Amino acid sequence: MRSPSLEAQKGVKPMIKQLFTILICMTAFGSHAFAQDSADHSQHETMQHDAHEHDDDAHEHDDHDHDTDHDDHTDHSAHDHSEHDMDHSAHDHSKHEMDHSDHDHSGMTHGDGHMMDAPGDHSMLHGEDDAHAHHHGDHHHHHDGHLMDHEGTHIMGQNFDKLPSSCTSISEEIEITVRGGTKYAKKFPGVTFAFDQQEWRVKPCSRITWHFINEDNIRHQFMMHGLPRYLYNLGMFHLENTGPRKVSGTMIVPAADETYLVHCDISQHMENGMKAQLVVGNGGEDIPSIPGLTPYVINDKYEAEDLPQVPDTDNGKEKDSLTKQVTDFFNDNVPIAGISFVGLLFGLVCAPLFVRMIALRKRKPEEDTV
Amino acid sequence: MPTRCYLMAILAACSIALPLNAQASLKLPETVKVNPAALNSEPICDPKISPSWRKAQVIEGVKIRESKVCDPDNPALIAAAVKGTNNISMATLMETDLSPDTIIKTDDIDGDGDPDRITIKLEVIELNGRTPDFEGLIPTFDIAPGIQPGAWVFAPKTSGMSTENFESIRANSLLRLPSPVIRVEVGDIVQIVLENTHYLPHTIHLHGVDHPFTHADGHVAGGDGVPQTSEMFLMPGESRVYEFQPRQTGTMLYHCHVQTHTHLAMGLVGMIIIEENRPNNWLQTLNVGGGHVRYPSVAIQEEFDEEFDLHFHAMDKELHEIIQKYNDPRLIARDMNRLYDITDSTEDYFILNGMSFPYTLRESIIFAEPDQKIKLRVANSASEMLALHTHGHKATITHYDGVEHNPAAQITRDVYALAPAQRLDLTLNTTNDGLHSYGEGIWLFHDHREKGITTDGMNPGGNVSAIVYKKYLNEIGLPKGMGVDVSKYFTQEFHARKLPIWQDLDESGSLGAPGVRSGIDPETQETVTNLLIGFVFGLLIYLIIAKKQQVRGAMTGALTKLRGSKGSKAND
Ligand SMILES: [Cu+2]
Ligand SMILES: [Cu+2]
Repeated sequence: MRSPSLEAQKGVKPMIKQLFTILICMTAFGSHAFAQDSADHSQHETMQHDAHEHDDDAHEHDDHDHDTDHDDHTDHSAHDHSEHDMDHSAHDHSKHEMDHSDHDHSGMTHGDGHMMDAPGDHSMLHGEDDAHAHHHGDHHHHHDGHLMDHEGTHIMGQNFDKLPSSCTSISEEIEITVRGGTKYAKKFPGVTFAFDQQEWRVKPCSRITWHFINEDNIRHQFMMHGLPRYLYNLGMFHLENTGPRKVSGTMIVPAADETYLVHCDISQHMENGMKAQLVVGNGGEDIPSIPGLTPYVINDKYEAEDLPQVPDTDNGKEKDSLTKQVTDFFNDNVPIAGISFVGLLFGLVCAPLFVRMIALRKRKPEEDTV
Repeated sequence: MPTRCYLMAILAACSIALPLNAQASLKLPETVKVNPAALNSEPICDPKISPSWRKAQVIEGVKIRESKVCDPDNPALIAAAVKGTNNISMATLMETDLSPDTIIKTDDIDGDGDPDRITIKLEVIELNGRTPDFEGLIPTFDIAPGIQPGAWVFAPKTSGMSTENFESIRANSLLRLPSPVIRVEVGDIVQIVLENTHYLPHTIHLHGVDHPFTHADGHVAGGDGVPQTSEMFLMPGESRVYEFQPRQTGTMLYHCHVQTHTHLAMGLVGMIIIEENRPNNWLQTLNVGGGHVRYPSVAIQEEFDEEFDLHFHAMDKELHEIIQKYNDPRLIARDMNRLYDITDSTEDYFILNGMSFPYTLRESIIFAEPDQKIKLRVANSASEMLALHTHGHKATITHYDGVEHNPAAQITRDVYALAPAQRLDLTLNTTNDGLHSYGEGIWLFHDHREKGITTDGMNPGGNVSAIVYKKYLNEIGLPKGMGVDVSKYFTQEFHARKLPIWQDLDESGSLGAPGVRSGIDPETQETVTNLLIGFVFGLLIYLIIAKKQQVRGAMTGALTKLRGSKGSKAND
């Protein structure tokens, strides 16, 4: 008969191997998650950075806006001469003035407004003129705080002066400019639309004037949910732009620490990145699936595809083949350096311990049976 | 001995159980009836649609015809489509959910009393798509109860949420299949502005409509809509103007020409109708959802009593599931462009004006009265032939692809073949002469390829609808006097294949669903028997080996006994 100890010894070798792979996998996984986390952080930081730089960027923005302007003008000259002047005088002077003074031409275009009304049809627009009067006069709510104009802006749930019951006074007055468009999604792979920032932090009871600038040639929204319903119809504050222009609205946040969802509700816009959160005070629970900020609830499965690749180049120069081979090997086979080496050392120290434990355990039952 | 006891017990049990089972199998199982109370029944007419919408009425000076269907179009929407969103009050506009710039009508260039510059803004909307936030689809659009294929449509530019409200995941009523029917006049300077609100590139190709091949700058202005020849892809966030001034009338199509084999099938296709230029010819620029035209053109009003737009389409389930599998547009592009193989596809859903039976009864019936002349504009955007058949009527084909057929050679028949992308104008004459009409009734019309009357292979479903005479319409616009109660089709269970529709054909439910046998069915019975036999043998073998000594002893004992008896006999 074979001695049990011999059998145990034979089993040791494959077992060490298994243990090693498991350990390596574990450490690799751990450090990977860590890497992701830190990546998210850095993204977040750059985002905030962007925000700070925004004012300096203004010039660049203006340049860009010019382009859109231009497009619209070509549109214009093609077919809209007749109403051009009429329009201006007929209805929207006040609006235009406000736009101009308020935001240094970044309102971008006067857009389709010019194409709106046919000669002789002004009577039709009376209702709308009334709305304007309200809007520019005492800013009272029209209907249920629902303002829409033929210019293509849409404001809902505006609140200038009604204090939430939890607040005794306005803590601070702030203005926040939010830009929205496809270009802000470029830094997030697999995302199509985005706001320029994914999170804003404000003090409880602050009065916020939001300037929402749509930088795409399509409609976008800045829609906030979960506000107290006694102040905001359906608990919503909503700014909408039918095209590339600016819309502004004011609201007051309650005193409670809370995190509010901000999104664009056009089909697949929130789902494809146009989502952010407003953190009041210390905030509440994070809103999920905000690009670069919070994890998705449901994740896609990605599988590697065998696609033809052009060899890597380093600043235009090809790496010499040896360095390339070495770096490629490490890039492909060693996912993360640092922490995984710590794991490896830990594994090396622990492995004999594990082996002994297992050998002991194996011996025990065999001794029992024999 | 305990082992022996066990054995005896098992054998006894077997011998009792087997004949018992045999006896139970003499009677077949009872019929299991599904209790209607257990079903998720939907009201036959959409409760969110006000019955007052059916009445003839005047809004913003627009005389809107009566609609006799159960789910009529919103009259405010028709007023906006006729006057333009720029020429109506804000109050009316806000009842439509349209954006203030959706339909802009200006400039009576020819001085005949109607506007000749028409701007129509379309967005690209995804229905029944995926979200990273929860398992489920958003915004939902059912083509039949519980049937939600992923789809893309050109939708009139809307305002506000894409769902009914924040609590609902159901799509806003303007966001639906099919892409809306567009109507413009010969000579109008038409601008269709495509605003790509979707995450993939799209374009518009004006199929059969007189339009320029290209404009100078393919980025700003659209031409033929073909990215390989006339212009660039229209990327997410971009908009493009397709300007044209049609010179010929007819029933035409518009559709996306990016990856047409998938994008058209996904729903990016609609009817566009060029009407004759007549004085004071304000047209209903959009007919959202197709069907009855509540504000027909001057020319149609002169010649016909009613007009209906009938857009037939079909979908391959596998294609429409792709957008429900992934959130990342790159994965959707991968599956659609490189993995999906249309040459292996089969059509599963057959829709008329965006819906399958029984929802076709809600809004796509043709209501008629005797001695009427009814204009039907039929388009087939499926990828296979359509064999449209009208019960009780032979209609006359007046136009093929928008071009009038020689009146002397026009064909009157009851099966109308439409190749993919083909359009037919039919004149339905309800004169009871045994040829054009066999009289009043509820006469079905449907695809006569039999799969066309199914939903994913289950009948009744598909593109079935009916020509219903006024006499046979009840007060809510539903066909009355049908053979069977249609309410069971308005359940998700029916479409989930969980409702045996023949269970109520007679008192005893002779064709309902059978239950299971009491006792064990023959196959299991056999398996159990075999198992038991094997088990008994196993026990025996074990006993023989384990108790070798005893067995041997017993054997030898028996042998000696035998031998002894023989010996004694011999001795005798
Ligand atoms: Cu958006
Ligand atoms: Cu497309």
